[in-house]
Amino acid sequence: MMSFIDRLLEQRARSVAQRAPRRGMLKALGGVLVGASALPLLPVARAAGPEGAARPQETGSDTDCDYWRYCAIDGFLCSCCGGSANTCPPGTEMSPVTWIGTCHNPADGRNYVISYNDCCGKPGCGACLCQRDEGDRPPYRPDKTNDINWCLGTSSASYHCSAAVVVGVAFEE
Amino acid sequence: MMKKGLFVALLTALSVLVSAEEVRPPLAVEPTGIIETLPERYPADWFLVHDAAFFHMSDGKVYVLDTDKDSIGDQVQGMFPLSLMGSFIEAPSRGEILAIETFHTRGTRGDRIDVLTIWDTVNLSAIAEVILPAGKRFMGMPERVALQLLKGDRWLAIFNLSPSTSVTLVDLDTRAVLGEIPTPGCSFIYSNGDLGLSALCADGRMLTVLLNEDGSEKSRILSDVFFDSDDSPIFERPARVGDIAYFPAFDGRVQPVALTGSAALPMASWSLFGKGEESWAPSGIGIDGEDDLGRIYFLMNSEANGVEGMHNAGGSEIWVFDPEARRRVLRIPLEAWGLSLAVSRGEEPKVLVTNPTDMSVELYDGLSGSFIKKLTGFGQETPLLLRGAQ
Repeated sequence: MMSFIDRLLEQRARSVAQRAPRRGMLKALGGVLVGASALPLLPVARAAGPEGAARPQETGSDTDCDYWRYCAIDGFLCSCCGGSANTCPPGTEMSPVTWIGTCHNPADGRNYVISYNDCCGKPGCGACLCQRDEGDRPPYRPDKTNDINWCLGTSSASYHCSAAVVVGVAFEE
Repeated sequence: MMKKGLFVALLTALSVLVSAEEVRPPLAVEPTGIIETLPERYPADWFLVHDAAFFHMSDGKVYVLDTDKDSIGDQVQGMFPLSLMGSFIEAPSRGEILAIETFHTRGTRGDRIDVLTIWDTVNLSAIAEVILPAGKRFMGMPERVALQLLKGDRWLAIFNLSPSTSVTLVDLDTRAVLGEIPTPGCSFIYSNGDLGLSALCADGRMLTVLLNEDGSEKSRILSDVFFDSDDSPIFERPARVGDIAYFPAFDGRVQPVALTGSAALPMASWSLFGKGEESWAPSGIGIDGEDDLGRIYFLMNSEANGVEGMHNAGGSEIWVFDPEARRRVLRIPLEAWGLSLAVSRGEEPKVLVTNPTDMSVELYDGLSGSFIKKLTGFGQETPLLLRGAQ
Protein backbone atom coordinates (compact mmCIF):
# COMPACT_ATOMS: atom_id res chain seq x y z
CA MET A 1 0.00 0.00 0.00
CA MET A 2 2.62 2.51 1.01
CA SER A 3 4.84 1.60 -1.89
CA PHE A 4 2.04 2.48 -4.27
CA ILE A 5 1.72 5.89 -2.67
CA ASP A 6 5.45 6.38 -2.51
CA ARG A 7 5.86 5.52 -6.14
CA LEU A 8 3.15 7.86 -7.24
CA LEU A 9 4.80 10.71 -5.43
CA GLU A 10 8.30 9.64 -6.32
CA GLN A 11 7.37 9.69 -9.97
CA ARG A 12 6.82 13.41 -9.85
CA ALA A 13 10.42 14.10 -8.96
CA ARG A 14 11.95 11.37 -11.03
CA SER A 15 10.42 12.10 -14.36
CA VAL A 16 12.40 15.28 -14.90
CA ALA A 17 15.71 13.70 -14.03
CA GLN A 18 15.25 10.59 -16.05
CA ARG A 19 13.97 11.74 -19.38
CA ALA A 20 15.68 9.42 -21.80
CA PRO A 21 15.88 10.44 -25.46
CA ARG A 22 12.79 9.22 -27.24
CA ARG A 23 14.08 9.77 -30.75
CA GLY A 24 15.12 6.14 -31.15
CA MET A 25 11.61 4.76 -31.09
CA LEU A 26 10.61 3.34 -34.44
CA LYS A 27 7.08 4.41 -35.20
CA ALA A 28 6.67 1.41 -37.43
CA LEU A 29 7.38 -0.85 -34.51
CA GLY A 30 4.52 0.77 -32.66
CA GLY A 31 2.04 -1.04 -34.82
CA VAL A 32 3.46 -4.43 -34.03
CA LEU A 33 2.61 -6.34 -30.90
CA VAL A 34 5.82 -7.98 -29.90
CA GLY A 35 5.57 -11.71 -29.35
CA ALA A 36 7.64 -13.37 -26.67
CA SER A 37 8.40 -16.23 -29.02
CA ALA A 38 10.10 -13.87 -31.42
CA LEU A 39 12.61 -12.41 -29.03
CA PRO A 40 15.98 -11.82 -30.69
CA LEU A 41 19.23 -12.42 -28.87
CA LEU A 42 20.17 -9.77 -26.43
CA PRO A 43 22.42 -7.57 -28.58
CA VAL A 44 24.83 -6.77 -25.83
CA ALA A 45 25.22 -10.45 -25.00
CA ARG A 46 26.92 -11.04 -28.32
CA ALA A 47 29.73 -8.81 -27.16
CA ALA A 48 30.67 -11.14 -24.34
CA GLY A 49 34.41 -11.50 -24.15
CA PRO A 50 37.41 -9.66 -22.83
CA GLU A 51 36.07 -6.28 -23.86
CA GLY A 52 32.62 -7.04 -22.46
CA ALA A 53 34.13 -8.11 -19.19
CA ALA A 54 35.95 -4.84 -18.88
CA ARG A 55 32.86 -2.67 -19.39
CA PRO A 56 29.62 -3.50 -17.59
CA GLN A 57 26.76 -4.08 -20.01
CA GLU A 58 24.16 -3.02 -17.51
CA THR A 59 24.41 -1.19 -14.22
CA GLY A 60 22.03 -0.87 -11.31
CA SER A 61 19.75 -3.27 -9.50
CA ASP A 62 16.85 -4.93 -11.29
CA THR A 63 14.83 -4.77 -8.09
CA ASP A 64 15.05 -0.98 -8.12
CA CYS A 65 12.30 1.01 -9.84
CA ASP A 66 14.98 3.32 -11.22
CA TYR A 67 16.65 0.45 -13.13
CA TRP A 68 17.11 1.54 -16.72
CA ARG A 69 14.84 -1.08 -18.32
CA TYR A 70 11.80 -0.01 -16.35
CA CYS A 71 11.37 3.41 -18.00
CA ALA A 72 7.81 2.70 -19.17
CA ILE A 73 6.72 0.05 -16.66
CA ASP A 74 3.70 0.06 -14.39
CA GLY A 75 3.30 -2.90 -12.07
CA PHE A 76 5.05 -5.29 -9.69
CA LEU A 77 8.65 -6.03 -10.67
CA CYS A 78 9.10 -9.76 -11.37
CA SER A 79 12.64 -9.44 -9.98
CA CYS A 80 11.04 -9.12 -6.54
CA CYS A 81 8.57 -11.98 -7.09
CA GLY A 82 10.75 -15.00 -7.84
CA GLY A 83 11.55 -14.07 -11.42
CA SER A 84 14.06 -11.62 -12.83
CA ALA A 85 14.11 -8.56 -15.05
CA ASN A 86 13.36 -10.75 -18.06
CA THR A 87 11.85 -13.96 -16.65
CA CYS A 88 8.63 -14.88 -14.91
CA PRO A 89 8.38 -16.42 -11.43
CA PRO A 90 7.86 -20.18 -11.15
CA GLY A 91 4.43 -21.48 -12.02
CA THR A 92 3.28 -18.37 -13.85
CA GLU A 93 2.64 -17.87 -17.54
CA MET A 94 4.25 -15.13 -19.63
CA SER A 95 1.85 -13.12 -21.76
CA PRO A 96 2.67 -13.45 -25.46
CA VAL A 97 1.44 -9.95 -26.27
CA THR A 98 2.91 -6.87 -24.68
CA TRP A 99 3.40 -3.18 -24.65
CA ILE A 100 6.78 -1.73 -25.49
CA GLY A 101 8.95 1.13 -24.45
CA THR A 102 12.28 2.57 -25.49
CA CYS A 103 14.79 2.89 -22.67
CA HIS A 104 18.27 4.34 -22.54
CA ASN A 105 20.98 2.03 -21.16
CA PRO A 106 23.51 4.32 -19.48
CA ALA A 107 26.12 1.53 -19.41
CA ASP A 108 26.57 1.49 -23.19
CA GLY A 109 24.81 4.67 -24.26
CA ARG A 110 22.33 2.88 -26.48
CA ASN A 111 18.55 2.99 -26.59
CA TYR A 112 16.78 -0.37 -26.50
CA VAL A 113 13.26 -1.51 -27.30
CA ILE A 114 11.88 -3.11 -24.16
CA SER A 115 8.98 -5.57 -24.22
CA TYR A 116 7.03 -5.49 -20.97
CA ASN A 117 5.67 -9.01 -20.65
CA ASP A 118 3.18 -9.57 -17.85
CA CYS A 119 3.42 -12.81 -15.90
CA CYS A 120 0.00 -14.27 -15.21
CA GLY A 121 -1.98 -16.98 -13.45
CA LYS A 122 -1.42 -16.08 -9.81
CA PRO A 123 -2.62 -13.19 -7.62
CA GLY A 124 -0.78 -9.89 -7.69
CA CYS A 125 2.76 -10.33 -6.38
CA GLY A 126 2.47 -7.22 -4.23
CA ALA A 127 6.20 -6.45 -4.06
CA CYS A 128 8.21 -3.66 -5.66
CA LEU A 129 5.36 -1.76 -7.25
CA CYS A 130 6.88 0.55 -9.83
CA GLN A 131 5.19 3.14 -12.00
CA ARG A 132 7.17 4.97 -14.66
CA ASP A 133 5.31 6.21 -17.68
CA GLU A 134 7.94 7.49 -20.11
CA GLY A 135 6.50 6.98 -23.58
CA ASP A 136 3.26 5.61 -22.16
CA ARG A 137 0.18 6.54 -24.16
CA PRO A 138 -3.56 6.04 -23.49
CA PRO A 139 -5.02 2.63 -24.33
CA TYR A 140 -6.11 3.78 -27.80
CA ARG A 141 -2.45 3.09 -28.52
CA PRO A 142 -2.39 -0.47 -27.16
CA ASP A 143 1.19 -1.02 -28.26
CA LYS A 144 2.38 1.81 -26.01
CA THR A 145 0.08 1.62 -23.02
CA ASN A 146 0.76 0.27 -19.56
CA ASP A 147 -2.77 1.00 -18.30
CA ILE A 148 -4.28 -2.32 -19.29
CA ASN A 149 -3.92 -5.82 -17.94
CA TRP A 150 -1.66 -7.49 -20.48
CA CYS A 151 -2.57 -11.01 -19.37
CA LEU A 152 -4.01 -11.46 -22.85
CA GLY A 153 -3.64 -14.68 -24.77
CA THR A 154 -2.86 -16.48 -21.53
CA SER A 155 -4.90 -19.19 -19.82
CA SER A 156 -5.53 -16.88 -16.87
CA ALA A 157 -6.31 -13.17 -16.78
CA SER A 158 -4.90 -12.88 -13.27
CA TYR A 159 -2.00 -10.39 -13.25
CA HIS A 160 1.04 -11.32 -11.13
CA CYS A 161 4.01 -9.14 -12.15
CA SER A 162 5.79 -7.49 -15.10
CA ALA A 163 9.09 -8.41 -16.74
CA ALA A 164 11.16 -6.13 -18.99
CA VAL A 165 12.76 -7.98 -21.90
CA VAL A 166 15.28 -6.40 -24.28
CA VAL A 167 14.01 -7.18 -27.79
CA GLY A 168 16.32 -5.02 -29.88
CA VAL A 169 18.39 -1.91 -30.29
CA ALA A 170 16.22 1.08 -31.12
CA PHE A 171 16.98 2.65 -34.46
CA GLU A 172 17.88 6.30 -34.61
CA GLU A 173 15.35 8.39 -36.52
CA MET B 1 -22.06 10.61 64.47
CA MET B 2 -22.29 12.79 61.42
CA LYS B 3 -20.11 10.42 59.45
CA LYS B 4 -22.30 7.48 60.34
CA GLY B 5 -25.42 9.37 59.22
CA LEU B 6 -23.83 10.19 55.88
CA PHE B 7 -22.85 6.58 55.38
CA VAL B 8 -26.38 5.39 56.01
CA ALA B 9 -27.78 7.99 53.61
CA LEU B 10 -25.40 6.93 50.82
CA LEU B 11 -26.22 3.28 51.40
CA THR B 12 -29.90 4.01 51.16
CA ALA B 13 -29.47 5.99 47.94
CA LEU B 14 -27.44 3.19 46.40
CA SER B 15 -29.99 0.57 47.26
CA VAL B 16 -32.68 2.70 45.64
CA LEU B 17 -30.60 2.93 42.46
CA VAL B 18 -30.03 -0.80 42.41
CA SER B 19 -33.73 -1.37 42.85
CA ALA B 20 -34.50 0.97 39.98
CA GLU B 21 -32.00 -0.92 37.82
CA GLU B 22 -33.65 -4.17 38.74
CA VAL B 23 -37.08 -3.04 37.72
CA ARG B 24 -35.96 -1.37 34.43
CA PRO B 25 -37.43 -3.44 31.60
CA PRO B 26 -34.93 -5.39 29.51
CA LEU B 27 -34.28 -4.69 25.87
CA ALA B 28 -36.91 -6.05 23.57
CA VAL B 29 -36.12 -9.18 21.65
CA GLU B 30 -35.08 -8.08 18.17
CA PRO B 31 -36.04 -9.73 14.95
CA THR B 32 -33.25 -11.28 12.91
CA GLY B 33 -32.80 -11.29 9.20
CA ILE B 34 -33.45 -7.62 8.60
CA ILE B 35 -31.50 -6.29 5.59
CA GLU B 36 -31.22 -2.58 4.93
CA THR B 37 -32.36 -1.08 1.66
CA LEU B 38 -31.43 2.04 -0.28
CA PRO B 39 -33.51 4.67 -2.08
CA GLU B 40 -34.34 3.87 -5.69
CA ARG B 41 -32.47 6.94 -6.85
CA TYR B 42 -29.41 7.81 -4.85
CA PRO B 43 -29.29 11.41 -3.52
CA ALA B 44 -26.98 13.96 -5.11
CA ASP B 45 -24.49 13.83 -2.25
CA TRP B 46 -23.87 10.14 -2.80
CA PHE B 47 -20.82 8.90 -4.68
CA LEU B 48 -19.78 5.50 -5.98
CA VAL B 49 -16.14 4.84 -5.11
CA HIS B 50 -14.44 2.18 -7.23
CA ASP B 51 -11.71 0.51 -5.21
CA ALA B 52 -9.94 -1.53 -7.89
CA ALA B 53 -7.97 -3.42 -5.20
CA PHE B 54 -4.76 -2.96 -7.13
CA PHE B 55 -2.89 -5.40 -4.88
CA HIS B 56 -5.49 -8.18 -5.15
CA MET B 57 -7.52 -7.41 -8.23
CA SER B 58 -10.06 -10.20 -7.97
CA ASP B 59 -11.36 -8.46 -4.84
CA GLY B 60 -12.34 -5.15 -6.45
CA LYS B 61 -15.39 -3.41 -5.05
CA VAL B 62 -17.53 -0.29 -5.27
CA TYR B 63 -18.52 1.58 -2.10
CA VAL B 64 -21.73 3.64 -2.00
CA LEU B 65 -20.96 6.68 0.16
CA ASP B 66 -23.17 9.45 1.50
CA THR B 67 -20.71 12.33 1.67
CA ASP B 68 -23.19 14.57 3.47
CA LYS B 69 -22.76 12.56 6.65
CA ASP B 70 -19.97 12.89 9.17
CA SER B 71 -19.40 9.44 10.64
CA ILE B 72 -18.39 6.19 9.00
CA GLY B 73 -21.57 4.53 10.16
CA ASP B 74 -23.67 7.11 8.36
CA GLN B 75 -21.43 7.56 5.32
CA VAL B 76 -21.18 3.94 4.17
CA GLN B 77 -24.49 2.95 2.60
CA GLY B 78 -23.41 -0.32 1.04
CA MET B 79 -21.03 -1.99 -1.37
CA PHE B 80 -20.94 -4.40 -4.28
CA PRO B 81 -18.02 -6.44 -5.65
CA LEU B 82 -16.36 -5.85 -9.00
CA SER B 83 -13.91 -8.61 -9.82
CA LEU B 84 -10.67 -8.27 -11.81
CA MET B 85 -10.46 -4.61 -12.78
CA GLY B 86 -14.12 -4.44 -13.70
CA SER B 87 -16.17 -1.58 -15.09
CA PHE B 88 -19.58 -0.28 -14.03
CA ILE B 89 -22.19 2.27 -14.97
CA GLU B 90 -25.37 3.42 -13.26
CA ALA B 91 -28.68 3.18 -15.11
CA PRO B 92 -31.01 5.14 -12.80
CA SER B 93 -33.92 4.95 -15.24
CA ARG B 94 -33.81 1.18 -14.82
CA GLY B 95 -33.00 1.15 -11.10
CA GLU B 96 -29.89 -0.83 -11.97
CA ILE B 97 -26.14 -0.73 -11.80
CA LEU B 98 -24.44 -2.60 -14.63
CA ALA B 99 -21.09 -4.19 -13.84
CA ILE B 100 -18.64 -6.07 -16.05
CA GLU B 101 -16.53 -8.61 -14.19
CA THR B 102 -14.22 -11.56 -14.80
CA PHE B 103 -13.87 -14.76 -12.80
CA HIS B 104 -11.88 -17.96 -13.07
CA THR B 105 -13.41 -21.18 -11.81
CA ARG B 106 -10.48 -21.80 -9.46
CA GLY B 107 -9.85 -18.24 -8.39
CA THR B 108 -6.80 -17.24 -10.42
CA ARG B 109 -6.93 -20.32 -12.68
CA GLY B 110 -9.47 -22.49 -14.41
CA ASP B 111 -12.04 -21.52 -17.00
CA ARG B 112 -12.50 -17.80 -17.54
CA ILE B 113 -15.96 -16.30 -17.25
CA ASP B 114 -16.70 -12.74 -18.37
CA VAL B 115 -20.08 -11.60 -17.17
CA LEU B 116 -22.38 -8.59 -17.01
CA THR B 117 -23.75 -8.54 -13.46
CA ILE B 118 -26.90 -6.48 -12.97
CA TRP B 119 -27.39 -5.01 -9.48
CA ASP B 120 -30.62 -3.41 -8.36
CA THR B 121 -30.06 -0.05 -6.70
CA VAL B 122 -32.52 -0.58 -3.83
CA ASN B 123 -31.23 -3.89 -2.51
CA LEU B 124 -27.74 -3.87 -4.00
CA SER B 125 -28.48 -7.45 -4.99
CA ALA B 126 -27.37 -9.21 -8.14
CA ILE B 127 -30.69 -9.70 -9.91
CA ALA B 128 -29.49 -10.95 -13.29
CA GLU B 129 -26.44 -11.69 -15.36
CA VAL B 130 -25.48 -12.01 -18.99
CA ILE B 131 -22.54 -14.22 -19.90
CA LEU B 132 -20.25 -12.40 -22.32
CA PRO B 133 -17.89 -13.78 -24.95
CA ALA B 134 -14.83 -14.77 -22.90
CA GLY B 135 -11.50 -13.06 -23.14
CA LYS B 136 -12.60 -9.88 -24.86
CA ARG B 137 -13.73 -7.23 -22.44
CA PHE B 138 -11.44 -4.29 -21.64
CA MET B 139 -9.53 -4.91 -18.43
CA GLY B 140 -7.37 -2.07 -17.20
CA MET B 141 -7.24 1.02 -15.06
CA PRO B 142 -10.86 2.03 -14.40
CA GLU B 143 -12.47 4.13 -17.14
CA ARG B 144 -15.76 5.97 -17.50
CA VAL B 145 -15.74 5.29 -21.25
CA ALA B 146 -15.51 1.48 -21.15
CA LEU B 147 -19.32 1.23 -20.95
CA GLN B 148 -22.14 3.36 -22.40
CA LEU B 149 -25.91 3.20 -22.43
CA LEU B 150 -27.70 3.58 -25.76
CA LYS B 151 -31.25 3.51 -27.11
CA GLY B 152 -32.89 5.14 -24.11
CA ASP B 153 -30.93 2.99 -21.65
CA ARG B 154 -32.11 -0.24 -23.26
CA TRP B 155 -28.73 -1.24 -24.69
CA LEU B 156 -25.41 -1.52 -22.93
CA ALA B 157 -22.32 -1.08 -25.11
CA ILE B 158 -19.21 -2.81 -23.71
CA PHE B 159 -15.71 -1.96 -24.94
CA ASN B 160 -13.49 -4.95 -25.81
CA LEU B 161 -9.69 -4.97 -26.05
CA SER B 162 -8.18 -8.40 -26.53
CA PRO B 163 -6.03 -6.58 -27.92
CA SER B 164 -8.20 -6.39 -31.03
CA THR B 165 -10.90 -3.82 -30.40
CA SER B 166 -14.68 -4.08 -30.70
CA VAL B 167 -17.93 -3.31 -28.91
CA THR B 168 -20.32 -5.93 -27.53
CA LEU B 169 -23.94 -4.81 -27.50
CA VAL B 170 -26.31 -6.20 -24.82
CA ASP B 171 -30.10 -5.82 -24.76
CA LEU B 172 -30.85 -5.05 -21.11
CA ASP B 173 -34.55 -5.88 -21.46
CA THR B 174 -34.04 -9.38 -22.82
CA ARG B 175 -30.74 -9.87 -20.95
CA ALA B 176 -29.09 -11.13 -24.13
CA VAL B 177 -26.08 -10.28 -26.27
CA LEU B 178 -27.23 -8.54 -29.44
CA GLY B 179 -23.97 -8.70 -31.32
CA GLU B 180 -20.46 -7.37 -31.72
CA ILE B 181 -19.35 -4.29 -33.64
CA PRO B 182 -15.72 -4.32 -34.80
CA THR B 183 -13.82 -1.08 -34.22
CA PRO B 184 -10.35 -1.97 -35.55
CA GLY B 185 -7.66 0.41 -34.33
CA CYS B 186 -10.18 2.44 -32.34
CA SER B 187 -10.91 2.29 -28.62
CA PHE B 188 -13.49 3.09 -25.96
CA ILE B 189 -17.09 4.17 -26.41
CA TYR B 190 -18.40 7.73 -26.61
CA SER B 191 -22.16 7.85 -26.99
CA ASN B 192 -23.13 9.70 -30.14
CA GLY B 193 -26.86 10.20 -30.36
CA ASP B 194 -29.25 7.54 -29.13
CA LEU B 195 -28.26 4.96 -31.73
CA GLY B 196 -24.63 5.79 -32.33
CA LEU B 197 -21.21 5.46 -30.78
CA SER B 198 -17.78 6.85 -31.50
CA ALA B 199 -14.29 5.57 -30.66
CA LEU B 200 -10.81 7.13 -30.51
CA CYS B 201 -8.38 5.78 -33.07
CA ALA B 202 -4.61 5.32 -32.84
CA ASP B 203 -4.14 7.28 -36.07
CA GLY B 204 -5.61 10.45 -34.55
CA ARG B 205 -9.12 10.14 -35.96
CA MET B 206 -12.47 9.24 -34.46
CA LEU B 207 -14.65 6.42 -35.75
CA THR B 208 -18.42 6.79 -35.62
CA VAL B 209 -20.75 3.81 -36.03
CA LEU B 210 -24.48 4.42 -36.38
CA LEU B 211 -26.84 1.53 -35.59
CA ASN B 212 -30.21 0.32 -36.76
CA GLU B 213 -33.13 -0.28 -34.39
CA ASP B 214 -32.18 -3.96 -34.15
CA GLY B 215 -28.59 -3.21 -33.18
CA SER B 216 -27.11 -4.02 -36.56
CA GLU B 217 -24.66 -1.61 -38.13
CA LYS B 218 -26.17 1.09 -40.31
CA SER B 219 -23.10 3.06 -41.31
CA ARG B 220 -19.59 4.02 -40.24
CA ILE B 221 -17.44 7.04 -40.93
CA LEU B 222 -14.02 8.30 -39.83
CA SER B 223 -13.32 11.92 -38.90
CA ASP B 224 -10.34 13.87 -40.14
CA VAL B 225 -7.10 13.47 -38.19
CA PHE B 226 -7.17 15.89 -35.24
CA PHE B 227 -4.36 14.71 -32.96
CA ASP B 228 -1.04 12.83 -33.07
CA SER B 229 -1.04 9.88 -30.67
CA ASP B 230 2.77 9.93 -30.47
CA ASP B 231 3.65 13.60 -30.26
CA SER B 232 0.50 15.43 -29.09
CA PRO B 233 -1.75 12.82 -27.52
CA ILE B 234 -5.08 13.55 -25.94
CA PHE B 235 -6.38 11.73 -22.89
CA GLU B 236 -9.09 9.19 -23.62
CA ARG B 237 -11.20 10.57 -20.75
CA PRO B 238 -13.28 13.59 -21.74
CA ALA B 239 -15.46 15.86 -19.66
CA ARG B 240 -18.85 15.77 -21.32
CA VAL B 241 -21.44 18.54 -21.56
CA GLY B 242 -24.40 17.64 -23.72
CA ASP B 243 -23.25 16.66 -27.17
CA ILE B 244 -19.70 17.95 -26.77
CA ALA B 245 -16.86 15.86 -25.36
CA TYR B 246 -13.96 17.93 -24.06
CA PHE B 247 -10.80 15.82 -24.33
CA PRO B 248 -7.87 17.20 -22.30
CA ALA B 249 -4.51 16.91 -24.04
CA PHE B 250 -1.07 16.09 -22.61
CA ASP B 251 0.11 19.58 -23.61
CA GLY B 252 -2.53 21.47 -21.63
CA ARG B 253 -5.04 22.08 -24.40
CA VAL B 254 -8.62 20.90 -24.47
CA GLN B 255 -9.94 19.36 -27.67
CA PRO B 256 -13.72 19.57 -28.06
CA VAL B 257 -15.46 17.04 -30.30
CA ALA B 258 -19.14 17.34 -31.23
CA LEU B 259 -21.04 14.05 -30.98
CA THR B 260 -24.50 14.88 -32.30
CA GLY B 261 -25.68 11.60 -33.76
CA SER B 262 -23.57 11.80 -36.89
CA ALA B 263 -19.87 11.75 -37.73
CA ALA B 264 -17.73 12.94 -34.82
CA LEU B 265 -16.76 16.53 -35.53
CA PRO B 266 -13.51 17.85 -33.98
CA MET B 267 -13.74 21.54 -33.10
CA ALA B 268 -11.05 24.15 -32.47
CA SER B 269 -8.89 23.35 -29.45
CA TRP B 270 -8.07 25.89 -26.76
CA SER B 271 -5.59 26.21 -23.94
CA LEU B 272 -6.38 25.44 -20.31
CA PHE B 273 -3.48 27.52 -19.03
CA GLY B 274 -2.86 31.25 -19.21
CA LYS B 275 0.23 33.39 -19.38
CA GLY B 276 2.79 32.33 -16.78
CA GLU B 277 1.10 28.93 -16.36
CA GLU B 278 2.81 27.16 -19.26
CA SER B 279 4.15 24.36 -17.06
CA TRP B 280 0.64 23.21 -16.08
CA ALA B 281 -1.11 20.26 -17.71
CA PRO B 282 -3.82 17.73 -16.81
CA SER B 283 -2.55 14.66 -14.98
CA GLY B 284 -3.96 11.72 -13.06
CA ILE B 285 -6.34 8.80 -13.54
CA GLY B 286 -9.90 10.14 -13.28
CA ILE B 287 -8.75 13.55 -14.40
CA ASP B 288 -11.95 15.34 -15.29
CA GLY B 289 -15.66 15.77 -14.79
CA GLU B 290 -18.63 18.00 -15.50
CA ASP B 291 -21.53 19.48 -13.54
CA ASP B 292 -25.16 20.31 -14.22
CA LEU B 293 -24.22 23.99 -14.57
CA GLY B 294 -22.34 23.16 -17.76
CA ARG B 295 -18.90 23.61 -16.26
CA ILE B 296 -15.96 21.23 -16.78
CA TYR B 297 -13.29 20.23 -14.26
CA PHE B 298 -9.68 19.17 -14.80
CA LEU B 299 -7.07 17.87 -12.35
CA MET B 300 -3.95 19.93 -13.03
CA ASN B 301 -0.25 19.38 -12.36
CA SER B 302 2.15 22.35 -12.28
CA GLU B 303 5.11 20.30 -13.56
CA ALA B 304 3.53 18.04 -16.17
CA ASN B 305 3.50 20.12 -19.34
CA GLY B 306 6.16 18.96 -21.75
CA VAL B 307 7.57 16.40 -19.29
CA GLU B 308 7.40 12.84 -20.59
CA GLY B 309 5.86 10.37 -18.16
CA MET B 310 4.02 12.85 -15.93
CA HIS B 311 0.51 12.38 -17.32
CA ASN B 312 -0.61 9.84 -14.69
CA ALA B 313 1.00 11.48 -11.65
CA GLY B 314 -2.04 13.46 -10.48
CA GLY B 315 -2.11 17.10 -9.53
CA SER B 316 -2.29 19.72 -6.81
CA GLU B 317 -5.24 21.76 -8.12
CA ILE B 318 -8.56 21.36 -9.89
CA TRP B 319 -9.38 23.99 -12.48
CA VAL B 320 -13.01 24.66 -13.39
CA PHE B 321 -13.97 26.16 -16.75
CA ASP B 322 -16.93 27.63 -18.53
CA PRO B 323 -16.33 25.79 -21.83
CA GLU B 324 -18.47 28.07 -23.95
CA ALA B 325 -16.61 31.15 -22.79
CA ARG B 326 -13.34 29.18 -22.69
CA ARG B 327 -12.74 30.83 -19.36
CA ARG B 328 -11.50 29.46 -16.06
CA VAL B 329 -14.04 30.25 -13.36
CA LEU B 330 -12.46 28.60 -10.31
CA ARG B 331 -9.20 27.16 -9.00
CA ILE B 332 -9.45 24.57 -6.23
CA PRO B 333 -6.13 24.06 -4.42
CA LEU B 334 -6.16 20.57 -2.94
CA GLU B 335 -5.23 19.85 0.66
CA ALA B 336 -2.54 17.38 -0.39
CA TRP B 337 -2.62 15.84 -3.84
CA GLY B 338 -5.26 14.47 -6.19
CA LEU B 339 -5.34 11.37 -8.38
CA SER B 340 -8.98 11.14 -9.50
CA LEU B 341 -12.06 13.31 -9.21
CA ALA B 342 -15.82 13.12 -9.62
CA VAL B 343 -18.49 15.81 -9.51
CA SER B 344 -21.96 15.43 -7.97
CA ARG B 345 -25.12 16.29 -9.86
CA GLY B 346 -27.36 19.26 -9.06
CA GLU B 347 -27.12 23.03 -8.76
CA GLU B 348 -24.66 22.90 -5.85
CA PRO B 349 -21.98 20.52 -7.09
CA LYS B 350 -19.51 18.88 -4.77
CA VAL B 351 -16.19 17.44 -5.91
CA LEU B 352 -14.83 14.21 -4.48
CA VAL B 353 -11.10 13.66 -4.95
CA THR B 354 -8.84 10.65 -4.32
CA ASN B 355 -5.88 11.72 -2.21
CA PRO B 356 -3.11 9.22 -3.08
CA THR B 357 -0.90 10.22 -0.17
CA ASP B 358 -3.18 8.34 2.25
CA MET B 359 -5.74 6.85 -0.16
CA SER B 360 -8.56 8.80 1.45
CA VAL B 361 -11.19 10.71 -0.50
CA GLU B 362 -11.73 14.42 0.10
CA LEU B 363 -14.79 16.54 -0.52
CA TYR B 364 -14.69 20.09 -1.90
CA ASP B 365 -17.36 22.65 -2.67
CA GLY B 366 -17.65 22.99 -6.43
CA LEU B 367 -18.89 26.58 -6.23
CA SER B 368 -16.50 28.09 -3.67
CA GLY B 369 -13.65 25.62 -3.96
CA SER B 370 -13.45 25.26 -0.19
CA PHE B 371 -12.40 22.03 1.49
CA ILE B 372 -15.30 20.34 3.28
CA LYS B 373 -14.11 17.05 4.75
CA LYS B 374 -11.98 13.96 4.44
CA LEU B 375 -13.61 10.52 4.28
CA THR B 376 -11.45 7.56 5.16
CA GLY B 377 -11.39 4.29 7.05
CA PHE B 378 -14.38 2.88 5.18
CA GLY B 379 -12.41 -0.15 4.00
CA GLN B 380 -10.86 1.43 0.95
CA GLU B 381 -7.36 0.58 -0.26
CA THR B 382 -6.95 1.97 -3.79
CA PRO B 383 -10.00 4.09 -4.71
CA LEU B 384 -8.86 4.77 -8.25
CA LEU B 385 -12.10 5.93 -9.87
CA LEU B 386 -14.95 7.95 -8.39
CA ARG B 387 -18.39 8.61 -9.82
CA GLY B 388 -21.13 10.94 -8.61
CA ALA B 389 -24.51 9.23 -8.16
CA GLN B 390 -26.67 9.81 -11.22
